[in-house]
Amino acid sequence: MENGGLNIIMFSGTADKLIPLGVLTQTAANMGVPVRIFITGWAMTVFKKDGPKNANRVSKEFEDMAPVLMKGLQDMKAPSWYEMIQSAKEIGDVKVYACSLMSEALKIKSKAEMDPIVDDIIGAASFMQMSAGGQVIFI
Amino acid sequence: MAVINVDSRGSACPGPITDLVRAYKKANNGDIIELLATDPGIKGDSKAWCERTGNELLGIEENSGEYKVKILIKSKK
Repeated sequence: MENGGLNIIMFSGTADKLIPLGVLTQTAANMGVPVRIFITGWAMTVFKKDGPKNANRVSKEFEDMAPVLMKGLQDMKAPSWYEMIQSAKEIGDVKVYACSLMSEALKIKSKAEMDPIVDDIIGAASFMQMSAGGQVIFI
Repeated sequence: MAVINVDSRGSACPGPITDLVRAYKKANNGDIIELLATDPGIKGDSKAWCERTGNELLGIEENSGEYKVKILIKSKK
């Protein structure tokens, strides 16, 4: 992981996966580890401009546990996953890329149509090249 | 050689380390950051952060669920 950093393929678009994305990204930035996030699949709509970035929707399998956990996080005044990524970008070397295939599928023509947190729209080969030698995880 | 106080009490992981990093960005070598936290993860996390970034953990005082972490800043370029 030392040189290639932490590379996260973000496929899921529900809070139960977006919260760990926020925590991992913030932690890596805190530790001085570069982070590259590749937004694809179901995460695409969440990262669209005016996308439901603070949506509390969770996967069906965790639905019954969600209210207790969400209430607990609220009571702790924990920042949202979106705020954690924003803060990580301020602190460290963190880039967010949207998948060009999924952008086309959603008729997204340019990054202006994505949330401002997205740095660019890139292809899978570019992501594979920039993550080579680093740790890659799929969420 | 300043002492920088950071109050992260009530903030959960990874909040205290984020607050520490924000203070570190403004600090100089020789400064001491005194971080107050209630998140029990801070004990291991502050040690890991110091190891990773090359700063020195001077000590952690624990007092009824509250931690005071003292870090000597030495890795600023």
